[in-house]
Amino acid sequence: MGTLELRGVRKTFGAVTAVDGIDLSVADGEFFVILGPSGAGKTTTLKSIAGLVDIDEGTVEIAGTEVTQVEPYHRNVAMAFESYALYPQKTVQENLSSPLRSGRTGAYEGKDQQARIDQVTTTLGINHLLGRLPRELSNGQRQRTALGRVLVRPADIYLLDEPLSHLDAKLRAAMRAELKQIAQTSSTTTVYVTHDYQEALALGDRVAVLRKGRFVQVGPPDEMWRRPVDTFVAKSLGQPEINLVPARVQRGEVVFAGGAGRLPVPPDLTLPDGEPVRLGLRPSEMEVDRGHRDEGEWLQLPGRVVLAERLGRQVELDVAVGDERLIVVEDSDHSPPEGTEVTVQIHLPNVHIFAGGEDGADTPRLGSGTGRHPAVLPEEARP
Amino acid sequence: MAKELMPGQRRLATGSILADVGLVAWFAFALFPILWMVLLSLKSDAEQTSTYFRFTPTLGNFSTVLSQRGTDLTSVDFKTAIVTSVINCGGAVLVSLLIGIPAAYAAGRWKFKGSDDLMFNMLSFRFAPELMVIIPLFVIYNQIGLFDTKVGMVWVLQLVTLPLVVWILRSYFQDMPEDLEQAALLDGYTRRRAFAMVALPLVRPGIAAAALLAFIFAWNNYVFPLILTDTNASTVTVAITKYLGGGGQAYYNLTAAAALIGALPPLILALSIQRYLVQGLSFGAVKS
Repeated sequence: MGTLELRGVRKTFGAVTAVDGIDLSVADGEFFVILGPSGAGKTTTLKSIAGLVDIDEGTVEIAGTEVTQVEPYHRNVAMAFESYALYPQKTVQENLSSPLRSGRTGAYEGKDQQARIDQVTTTLGINHLLGRLPRELSNGQRQRTALGRVLVRPADIYLLDEPLSHLDAKLRAAMRAELKQIAQTSSTTTVYVTHDYQEALALGDRVAVLRKGRFVQVGPPDEMWRRPVDTFVAKSLGQPEINLVPARVQRGEVVFAGGAGRLPVPPDLTLPDGEPVRLGLRPSEMEVDRGHRDEGEWLQLPGRVVLAERLGRQVELDVAVGDERLIVVEDSDHSPPEGTEVTVQIHLPNVHIFAGGEDGADTPRLGSGTGRHPAVLPEEARP
Repeated sequence: MAKELMPGQRRLATGSILADVGLVAWFAFALFPILWMVLLSLKSDAEQTSTYFRFTPTLGNFSTVLSQRGTDLTSVDFKTAIVTSVINCGGAVLVSLLIGIPAAYAAGRWKFKGSDDLMFNMLSFRFAPELMVIIPLFVIYNQIGLFDTKVGMVWVLQLVTLPLVVWILRSYFQDMPEDLEQAALLDGYTRRRAFAMVALPLVRPGIAAAALLAFIFAWNNYVFPLILTDTNASTVTVAITKYLGGGGQAYYNLTAAAALIGALPPLILALSIQRYLVQGLSFGAVKS
């Protein structure tokens, strides 16, 4: 049983509050992802679970037992560090066997130990590297070894701290798929920390967005994508970032871009006339000149392509709509040249309405545009 | 008009030639005392006060210093003084490392209220001039029977070397990523074993550097052995100055020869641990 419960966990370093009263409940076998920018408190949260930092307040419960005062090893968790933390003077084999022969385990000896290591190294494709020292490995190989040291130990919970962050994009994508597969077969509870929204959406059974030591929102990936609680969560998911367009309510309509864009105030929202709001339009959910769309279902905005940046299969379009600029991601085989007049189209349920606020300040989500059909999760956000 | 330079092209050599000449001049100036000492050590008694570079070189001074004649001249056996110095300084360094490494680790890893003050306090031992404490030390040493003993010298010299060791190694431990020890803790090692297995091997270059510096500081110390020893625990630094005669005949050539011999042990130590000094810190274990 690898359940995890955090209640009111708080940790400060001098005047800095790294973790600010976190409550969390992770089910047995769940793959839980914590997403957040640098300095949000992700690693401290993970180390609080592992017992590597002494928390100031709160309790940690693993597999139904309170372990707040228990030593790291006896919490029966395994952790992969962002820095790999491989013992430099030990070979890959010795690094991997370290958790199995520390003198306190005793569970795996001799043949059993080697069988366990062989199984893990075969899965990770590093069985030819067993005799090498960490300095003789590439980044990807070190990463796998660090991951191997986690997997080799039968633990209640795996804690993975940005395990893919130092890999190049191609290797990261490959390792992400492997991790997903390993997590499914091992069915060990995993808490995974990352600042990469794609990893979070692709891997997590649930995702938590962390800001300044607090969870802003916790939920399944598609819910986080479709119903971000505020602009911070909306900005955390998606690259390029969501377009946040200032708008105002006028006679039952949300008007923006100097009047170039209008959509009806959804019936479930009561917004008084003159109320400032912000619209969230995801670049990947907008289209350009995709032909006839139902006016009642789609928001259609006249605009002009200012810049088209080709990024392989996709093209990032900077489109001027009224006095606003919107970033739109389109297929590169559907890219209008710069200077072209276009119509930007977006399905109304994909339009997020946030409370109005200063630039840079995060405001809560009020609702979304209303269409007759629910929004469809885009490919990048699908698990 | 001056010819325009290509980007990245070096400027005309005049400036750099001047800089090189300046450097060589400074180098010669800095090394001159050592050259003079070498020359002096090769001069006979008759020529020792001459300032000419032309003389008949002899190695006799070195053999005199190491022979009975040298002992007769100064009443101190120079060979014994070297051995004593090695024991005193080696002992002081050993004690400093035994106490200093765990102290530096603790100081580098655990922050608590007043920890910086504590460290500064320790460093302040180094600020105080030795002469300030020498009289009380002399009295105390006489009373408790540590005067002119090797144990007494080890004790007093580690006052000089311990702060040095702690301060040098503390920065090494601070620079070392904590993740490695934490990984060891999760692997089931005790804090002590994690320290021994992970932290210690990584700070080996630091230990080598600290030990060497501490040894040199202890070796060069003059005031403590001068006041706190007589003949039993007298060190090289004191023995060297005996050739200056103390009012009687001064043997500058023998002093120079003794000083050169006395400089050898730290030099040998430096050469023998050079390998560790230049070793990288983290061996590619941790992504920085």
